[in-house]
This record gives sequence, C-alpha cells and structure tokens, in this order.
Amino acid sequence: MSENEQMAPEAPVTGQGRMDVAWGANTGDETVENMAQASTASSGQIFEQTYTPWRGTLNPRWMRNWAILRHHLLGIFRKGHRPWTMPTRIFILIAFLASLSDAGMTLLSGLVGSSEFHSLFGVSRDNLYGHVLGFFPRNVLYYPIVAALLVGSVISEDRQHGTSALYFSRPVSRFDYVGMKFLSVAIIQALVVLLSYILYFLAEVIAHGHGWAWMVDVFPMFLAGFIAGMILIFTYTSIGLSLSSVSTGRFFPGIGLLAIVFGTKTLASIVKNLFEREILYLISPYDCVAHVGQALIGTQTTYDQYSWTYSLVALVVMNALALYVLATRVASMEVTRE
Amino acid sequence: MEDERIIQTKGLTKSYGPHVALDNLNISIPRGATGLLGQNGAGKSTFLKTILGLIQATSGEGTVLGFDIRTQGVDIRQRIGYMPEYDALNPDMDAIHQVRYSGELLGMNPVVAMNRAHEALQFVGMGEQRYREISSFSTGMKQATKLACAIIHDPDLLIADEPSNGLDMKAREFMISTLNTMVHDGQRSVLMASHLMDDVERVCENIILLHKGALAAQGKIEDLKAIDREIEIHVWGGATPLEQRLNDQGFRVRREGRVMRIAHTQEDTTTHILRAAAEVGAQIRRMHEYEASLEDLFLAIMDNLGYNVKSSEDLLRSPVEARRVDAPESMGGGGA
Repeated sequence: MSENEQMAPEAPVTGQGRMDVAWGANTGDETVENMAQASTASSGQIFEQTYTPWRGTLNPRWMRNWAILRHHLLGIFRKGHRPWTMPTRIFILIAFLASLSDAGMTLLSGLVGSSEFHSLFGVSRDNLYGHVLGFFPRNVLYYPIVAALLVGSVISEDRQHGTSALYFSRPVSRFDYVGMKFLSVAIIQALVVLLSYILYFLAEVIAHGHGWAWMVDVFPMFLAGFIAGMILIFTYTSIGLSLSSVSTGRFFPGIGLLAIVFGTKTLASIVKNLFEREILYLISPYDCVAHVGQALIGTQTTYDQYSWTYSLVALVVMNALALYVLATRVASMEVTRE
Repeated sequence: MEDERIIQTKGLTKSYGPHVALDNLNISIPRGATGLLGQNGAGKSTFLKTILGLIQATSGEGTVLGFDIRTQGVDIRQRIGYMPEYDALNPDMDAIHQVRYSGELLGMNPVVAMNRAHEALQFVGMGEQRYREISSFSTGMKQATKLACAIIHDPDLLIADEPSNGLDMKAREFMISTLNTMVHDGQRSVLMASHLMDDVERVCENIILLHKGALAAQGKIEDLKAIDREIEIHVWGGATPLEQRLNDQGFRVRREGRVMRIAHTQEDTTTHILRAAAEVGAQIRRMHEYEASLEDLFLAIMDNLGYNVKSSEDLLRSPVEARRVDAPESMGGGGA
C-alpha cells in the first residue's frame, strides 16, 4: 500500500502509524556504520555570542524628549510602552465617555428640536464653565480621580524600581525628565477634559447647524473655558507630581491629591457655614481655579466677596510651592542608588 | 590608539561640607578593561557620578573619552553605557521594550532602537526570553537585561557597577564571558566596579583602588602584583628555626604551620632560603614562586595603608563599619 493510500480516509485502520511512532519507522536493517555516524553527528550550535557593532547616529535632545512623551502617552493605548494599570486605562475611558454626556445631550436636543432641552444642555456661558469646572459630577467623580490615577505612579515608581537610573545615566537632564513627565500627564488629562470640551462645542455646531458667525461670536467664551481647563489640569498635575516625587508608591500620591482637593474644599465649606467667612476658600485648589475660571468665562462668581485676583495669586503660590517640591525632589534622585 | 586614555582626572576633589568624598584624585585609565575597587564608602559611586557629569566636582578637572566632565556631561552620557548595580528596570514591561526604550532615551529612533534591542538581547543571551515580562525574571536575566540596555548604542565605554552581584555560578560565568567578549572581540572598554576580586581579575587588566576617597593604587594588575612577590616553601622539620633564621637575615616571612611565604625581594632569595634550611637542618619538600591573586594584592595594599584585615571580604562586606568616617583603629580610622 502506497503512502497516499495509507493516509486516505477510506484506508483500513491497521495500527501501523502507532507502531511507527512507538518503535520507529525504520526497518531495522540499517548498517551499523550509518548508525554510529548518526549518533556522532553534530547537534549544531544553538547560541553563538557575537558582538555586533553599531555605527548609527544618535538624534538630538528633542528626539529624546519625544521618546519620553511618546512612551507615556502611547502606554495608555497599547502595549510596549509605559505600562499604565488596567484600572487607570478603564477609568480614563469611562471618564472620557461620561464627559461627553453634554455633547450627547446637545446632539439629542438637535435631533429632537426642543429649545428647552437645548437651553439645558447646549453651549452657553454656564454650560461651558460647567463642562470644565463644574463641581459635581466632573470635579468630584471624573477629573481629580483621573489626575490621581495618573500622578500616582509617574515619578514615585521610578524611585521604587530604580528606573530613574535609566534616565539620568543617559543624556536626559532632570528638567527634560520632569518636563516630559509633566507634559504627558497633562496631555492625558487634556484628552479627557479638553478633547471632550472641543467635541461638545462641535456637537453644538453640528446639531444646530451654526455658521462661522456664531462660532466667531462664541469663540472668546470657548477660549476662556479652554484656558480655565488648562489651569485646572496644570494645578492638578503640579500638586499630584510633587506628591509623586516625595513617595515610592502609587497609593500615597493619588490619595494625597484627592485629600488635598476635597479636604481643603470641605474645610473651607465648613468654616464658611459655621463662621460665615469665605476667605478660607483660598486654600482650596479647586475653588481657586473655579473662581478664576468663572471670572474668565464671565459667569456669576461663587466667592463674590473677594476679587478673582486673590484666587489667581493663591493658585500661583500653590503651583510654585508644588513645583518647588517637585524640582527639589527630582534633583535629589540618584543614579547609583536611592 | 592603545595608549589613548579613556578617563583622566587631575586633582579631582568632591566635598560634601566637611566630608571629602573624593580627595585629589589623579587617575588615568587606558583603553581595555579596568576594575574599580574599594570598600563601601570609598568613593566609587561618587567617582562614577562625577565622571558621568551628574555632579559637579568641588575642584580639579577630568575628561572621559576626551569630553570635559564639568561641561560636557550630556556628550559623555551619550557615548558611554552605564549598567547600575541596583534594579533599574520596570517590572511590568517586556525586556525587548525596556531595552528599546533605553535606546530611545539615547536618541535612537524607535525602529532602529527596536532592531538594536533584539541584537543586544541576543548578545547577552536572552534569546526568546526577551518577550517575557521583567517581573518574571531571575536576577541573572535582570542583570543581562540591564547590560543590554547599557550596550544598545554600542558605547565606547561600558561602566558596569557590580555586574555579577547576586548571580549564581552559571550566570556569573556567562556575565564574565560576555564582558570579556565585549573587551576582546568588540574592542570596547569596560570600567567595572566590583567587590568580587576574582571577577575583576578575570575581566580586567588594570585596577583602580580607592580608599576613603583617595587613590590607593592604580595600574596593571600584573605590575601591581610584583610588589607582593613571594616564594612559598613547604617545610618538614625545623620550621621554627628556619623562620627565625630567615627573619634574622632580614626576610619578611609569613608562616602558616609548615607553609611559609618569604618576600621575594632579591635575585638570590631562593639561594638564601636553601642555605638557611641547610644550616638549621630543615627539609624543604616543595618550593615555588607564589603567584599572588588580586585578593592578596588588595590585602597587601591595605596592609601598607595600616589596616589589619584578614580578607577583602572582612573589609568590603562590613558596610556599617566601613562606612564610618570615624572607623575604629583596626579598620584604619582614628578610633573616635
């Protein structure tokens, strides 16, 4: 029986295949010389250590900085870059989708054609403010938690794992290191806060067919909201990274940022209710950003007893303090040992 | 080219307040492999940070690969590879991506960095393990990955801080052979800080020995060993009179039972030993020139510095004692 006939579906089951596997398919008539030769045949070299020189050119500083930025940003989307934890990625997605709720409602109002519905969710001075700086739910459930999840590990884990040596033994200055880390955390937050803000604005344009005249008319208000969002992101990032730089874990910086944001606001609120003194809001980063944002966009200010410039000064002081701690701690990060 | 100095310092001093971490170092390191030795607190880490341009020297000057350590730190760090002693890898990343990222941090574009990462990891023997997460690696695999990160851009000088630390025998052998391949086949220079004298001796031709921030010794290991040449004899009967006679003749004798080592300071030392043995009636059953190891050399240098240590391990592996600036007299300190 030929080999093809043996393998054909209709061929009888003889057990020949199993026999071949168990005892070998040879006839047993091999010559001893051949067998001896086979047993002494070389098994080949599996690993040969060869040093391969490289004569390429190294790119300048901007390329190294881009590498740090890219490493952190692409890590959110795919493997092979900075390994952000799965809960962080999932929460960012949830926060992004949740931030688009007003864009969705605006589209819905356009489809339904209800002016009352539109006045509730469509683009207006108050709603633009609310998208970026509204306390509940955005600055309770979304943005500070996104910031806390991001800053929780971004510098502290370099201390914990010793990966700071990877940066500083290379031609990366501490300014570039911390600058790119800051920028990457800020950009990821901007994807949630500002990208959803832009999409909200575009949803209004699409749903209601606004023309250039409307867009130019509303643009200053839109820009003010955008700048307020940038101030919010900057403040959360600087405070969060300063906490990350004094820690070697991801829990303390994250929980510390939330404690500062919510703790100071709660304290200011308690003092205001008990003593009818609002001045303590100046210790709350969120309240200060909100106050400045309200002034920029032109809505009714919450703390109208005081000028918004008080809040601006308080914000400058808070950020300066946070950046000072960040710079000092990063300057002390070691290459040889921590 | 052979005589070209890869690292040179003149009067290099680094002080932290009243504590002098590096004391007027005049170091000259040729191409090839050089061992950097010294106890904990001797100034090895400070020296490495200074030549990497990461900290500013208080005074003095120096060059690495021709670049000024005071003003051209970035150029230096672009051309050297640094393998840190401690963990410097992200445990949640795959080895291949970690090495690629280390290349990108040097300025390689991502595609080139990935190609080189494969080559570097293949060279250090990681094979298909390169796709595994670093958290699952053994110490040897982590060391190999750190080495791959350091050599991805084919640096002229590799600075390896304790490269064989914590490795088992097999991994240690592989690390030593890899460094040797770099030096001999790759024609690259290695500056290797280690407390394992045996490893240093197997890789390096030269050593630098630091002690309390000052230079205790530098040069070729073979040349330095010559300062401690001895003749070893095995004596049968009359060992004590022979020891006495040789001492009387001005020879420095170290004795452990029937084995004696006599300083080989003169051309005719062997004649003197045989004559002394004949005079006191001692039998010399065996006589040969004792080849000092780097460990012996280290002990001899420490002895010259006034230290009473039995082995390099006593000194190098006693961080608490050795780190003290006011170390006890037995450790060479002031005993404060």
